[in-house]
Amino acid sequence: MDAFTLSQFLFLLKGLQWTVALSLIGLSLGAVAGLLIALARTSGFKTFKRITGGYIMLFQGTPLLMQLFVTYYGLALIGLKLDPWASVAIGFTLHASAFLGEIWRGSIEAIPRGQTEAANALGVNYLTRMRKIILPQALRISLPATIGFLVQLIKGTSLAAIVGFNELARSGSIVSNQNFKPLLVYAVVAILYFSMCWPLSLYGSRLERRLATGAR
Amino acid sequence: MDYKFDFNPVINGFPDLLMGCAGTLGLAFAGLLLSSVIGAVGVALRGSHIAPVRWTVIAFVELIRNTPFLVQIYFVFFALPLVGIRLDPTPTAIIALGVNGGAYAIEILRGGVQAIDKGQIEAGHALGLSKLQVFRLIVFKPALRAVFPSLASQFILLTLTTSIASAISAYELTSVAQRIESDSFRSFEVYGTVTFLYLAISTALLMGMSAIAQRMFSYPVK
Amino acid sequence: MTFKTTSSKRRQLMLAVAGLIAASTLVTSPARAITSAEIKAKGKLVVGIQAANPPWGFVDSTTGQADGIDADMAKAFGKELGVPVEFAGLEVANRIPALTSGRVDVLFATMAMLPERAKAVQYSKPYIGNSIFLVAAKSVVIKTNADMGKLVIGVPRSSTQDSDVTKNAPPGTVIRRFDNDAATIQAMLSGQVQAVGGNVFYARRLNEAAPNTYENKLEFTQLFNGACTRLEDKELNGVLNAFIDKIKANGELAKIQQKWTGTSMTNFPASIEGVPFVAK
Repeated sequence: MDAFTLSQFLFLLKGLQWTVALSLIGLSLGAVAGLLIALARTSGFKTFKRITGGYIMLFQGTPLLMQLFVTYYGLALIGLKLDPWASVAIGFTLHASAFLGEIWRGSIEAIPRGQTEAANALGVNYLTRMRKIILPQALRISLPATIGFLVQLIKGTSLAAIVGFNELARSGSIVSNQNFKPLLVYAVVAILYFSMCWPLSLYGSRLERRLATGAR
Repeated sequence: MDYKFDFNPVINGFPDLLMGCAGTLGLAFAGLLLSSVIGAVGVALRGSHIAPVRWTVIAFVELIRNTPFLVQIYFVFFALPLVGIRLDPTPTAIIALGVNGGAYAIEILRGGVQAIDKGQIEAGHALGLSKLQVFRLIVFKPALRAVFPSLASQFILLTLTTSIASAISAYELTSVAQRIESDSFRSFEVYGTVTFLYLAISTALLMGMSAIAQRMFSYPVK
Repeated sequence: MTFKTTSSKRRQLMLAVAGLIAASTLVTSPARAITSAEIKAKGKLVVGIQAANPPWGFVDSTTGQADGIDADMAKAFGKELGVPVEFAGLEVANRIPALTSGRVDVLFATMAMLPERAKAVQYSKPYIGNSIFLVAAKSVVIKTNADMGKLVIGVPRSSTQDSDVTKNAPPGTVIRRFDNDAATIQAMLSGQVQAVGGNVFYARRLNEAAPNTYENKLEFTQLFNGACTRLEDKELNGVLNAFIDKIKANGELAKIQQKWTGTSMTNFPASIEGVPFVAK
């Protein structure tokens, strides 16, 4: 039996690097797309609402693993020649855009209509109203839920392991197959995920309590 | 790109895919049962006067909610045998799902229970209701009504999470899909179809749970 | 706490720009057949390899690089073409789709030469042999195919072991399919399965963990591995075959085999039924 060496631990950290990278890309690109979706859904145009509604239902009603499989195998078919990293990143981006779009739609709709009416009465156009009045408040309200989703996303990157991508979970599999110590290795992997996710979860709860106090 | 679509493997394998759906639902309901038990027990212990008990539950919930399900199920399947606990894929999946769902259930139920007005509980005691009656009628049912939407979406999430059990070769829809795919190499057709099967399952569950909510919770509330 | 609109605007702008930059790095040129000249022009050879199947293909935890028999073959081929090699680690089930979708240019991924696969990809001439065995603990009695019926057997999904065990085990045998060789071996070591369908190195791998415990029980097939290109990449197939002939002749192939397996194999069949070596 081999020992759990430092180089193996460093290999796990390399996997963690990819986990972080994947999460950040999914979050940032997903945020851009999600914002567009949220705006589309609150714009008042029924067709937008219906199309984005279907999109969101698709991503919220199917497993992330399937979404990754379809992106991984399917994108290549329509001519997009991507490496595994890119296709998995796109999969997470689409996934994130659906969830963030829903979260932000909810928070936009939570802003009292009076504000929109007042803005219209004052002759403020849509873009300015969104940028300066509605969105800042909506995004702040949504922060706990958004952070909560980020935690889900980080955990979700572990599924990239199943399409063969070397993020943290898969690195754990490989290392435990080299030193035959799955108990130790998976415990370490769990601790690494925990150290990323728990601080975010705590921060999200704290924000939630603070916002709730503020609302009272 | 001249990729010729060929849905024959999917059509031929459809009975197997339906059996896979049954497997998925089986795991989901068994997982639901276990998470309900863990949730109920956990939320009761969470309110205990004994600090270490409270802290254990909190630690459990935080640990499960901040680590990926894949790692949890790998742990139960590959690592636990080394300390003598070896379980087949199906029990492993059910336990992993139950534990995972249970942690979330504890938090959701806790929110619902906390929202119950203390005054109502005191009124119940004052009216001579037994502790059990107070819990059932004043705490539990209203709390359940309040958090039912969260529990419902958590259950759907649990059902979708069963797909990860394919990594330990449990019997459910994703592993059936993988088998058909490996025989035919028709990845896009197979996984595309299976995606819609999952959508059908989650939509059906959603409708089912709205119906249940209607039935159980349509009593007037002040 | 007031939410500064200026910082949120800056944030949104940064997100958008980052997104555009990221998006532009993702998309590369559309699919079409590739030739060796195009690979040279591209400046790199993208090789599909197994990421966790020592000693054929594995990612070395010390250096993070791909290593193994297949990696050495790929690097030699890259040297032949005069370009560096970029490795894409693949699961057993992803190998053929990765090639046919254009994600990789060539597969050096322990591809056993089988007629069903030859319909989907173009094999080169064989460069090494492989046998598929049923491996189990010495204490387990397995003398015939029928004996497999009483065991729980693990295999990597879509592998040659998968098809061999499925074909040879009596109906009703419990077969557990895992994502890759690593998981299959872990399943064996944790007692989740009592036997595994493995390649010629499984017994050695398993005995590294628990010395002197495991042995080969049944031999299913003796197979050969070839490199794979897409069916339409006829020119590349020709270049690949010429390369394999060359390293057979100058002893480089024997050296690679010796390094990883301790033996060298020189006897290759001139043809394999149902598997053409040369693109038509």
